Amino acid sequence: MQSMEIPLVLFTVFSQAAIGLTLMRAVRTTADGPVDGSGGARHEWRLIAGLMLLGMIGSLFHLGHPLSAPTALNHLGTAWLSREILFAGLFTGVTVLAALLAGRAGKPVLAWVGTLLGLGVIVSAGMTYAPPALPALHNALPFTFFLTSAVILGSGFGSWFAGGERASLMARIFTTALVVGLVLNLVAPCVWLSGGTVMRMTGEAWLGSSFYWAHVAVLAGCLGVVWKTRTIPSWLPVAALLGELVGRAGFFADTIHAAANMGGLY
Amino acid sequence: MKKQYAFHVDTERCIGCFTCAMACRNYYHQVEGVVWRQVHPLSEEIYPHRERAFLSLSCNHCEHPACLNVCPVEAYTKREDGVVVHHQEKCIGCGNCIRSCPYGAPKYNPVEKRAEKCSLCHERLDAGLKPACVQACPTDALQLIDLAEFTETNEVQYPAGYPRMEELNPSTRFVLPQTPKMVRR
Ligand code: SF4
Ligand code: SF4
Repeated sequence: MQSMEIPLVLFTVFSQAAIGLTLMRAVRTTADGPVDGSGGARHEWRLIAGLMLLGMIGSLFHLGHPLSAPTALNHLGTAWLSREILFAGLFTGVTVLAALLAGRAGKPVLAWVGTLLGLGVIVSAGMTYAPPALPALHNALPFTFFLTSAVILGSGFGSWFAGGERASLMARIFTTALVVGLVLNLVAPCVWLSGGTVMRMTGEAWLGSSFYWAHVAVLAGCLGVVWKTRTIPSWLPVAALLGELVGRAGFFADTIHAAANMGGLY
Repeated sequence: MKKQYAFHVDTERCIGCFTCAMACRNYYHQVEGVVWRQVHPLSEEIYPHRERAFLSLSCNHCEHPACLNVCPVEAYTKREDGVVVHHQEKCIGCGNCIRSCPYGAPKYNPVEKRAEKCSLCHERLDAGLKPACVQACPTDALQLIDLAEFTETNEVQYPAGYPRMEELNPSTRFVLPQTPKMVRR
């Protein structure tokens, strides 16, 4: 098992929750029917900005030299990590601005700008964590994992702010995202078992990992609760968040690096 | 082709004595646990003999280095002669190069809190000397070559036991080990 990379777990999951919330805000403002009646725009933007700031501060702890963090913007030409930090910085700026400007109704344009920048964060994070050294993840999987997490957490926490009219919309999106997340997580390690040596080792490590099974159990449990109650109880998004944190720890800890098999058959 | 310095590893000559790895260590005094050159025994699936065969590996000074491409602070440069140099003073210790290089060449130095790796002894090259590992190898199994001028043809780029990463195009070249002769009475 490699390092759990706790600062990166916090950064990726919290930022994805914030991006998902922003996306769901934008979706709710354009959905058919009466205008979002909750009026909790300021509270929601505060939660989004707070999550993002927490994630950004958390991410500093994985640097050997956190004070030099701004230099990480130097290599926008080829380094997806630089692009990720640029998008994350801009997105955080928009969320803080929105939290300051929002009245009860909020500004839809900020939700849309935030959503675009947030998708930029997810695409660049998906590229950053898909290096050639991790054959199991050297593909679109990190991006799809991250997007799914964002939609699960965004619709889950979004239900706190959706008001009566949009609650069922959030529950439908939450359910769909949980199904996608569950399928992705169950299928990916099984596919890896039929890949090259390092991919197979990764599949075996994930299937033998308590992080993995805890994550799958939380996804399935959340799905069971929404199916039974037809709503998102207010505690459920917190459970989903814990599940995503555990799953992300496994993502970093249980994915095998190509160099782990040097001298063996690839 | 442009000049490209590269390691030439003759696994037929290599006896697995670790002198190259020790020479690197003696020269750079890396902190405990940090290894720039490692000697990997080939698994029995690849070389099923009581005689062992080894791959002596460090950074491959790739044509398209993953480390250089992913480093957010531009701590890596590729010199005119193909050597990929890590400039440790710029590094902020984010670990991205360590995660991204499939050959595991960059390592985390827990004292400096920055990455580091083999830079092909480029100061020695500039002084007309061989890299410390090449100079130390007692069997001449490890050599320095320039791929632009290298004309021998029995080398392979991707021997068994070494990840095939075409998008990086690693520069190291290998002579494969021969099967030992079995003498029966
Ligand atoms: S072997 Fe790794 S560290 Fe060396 S140049 Fe290639 S990618 Fe960079
Ligand atoms: S650890 Fe240092 S050299 Fe490696 S990618 Fe990060 S900043 Fe660049």
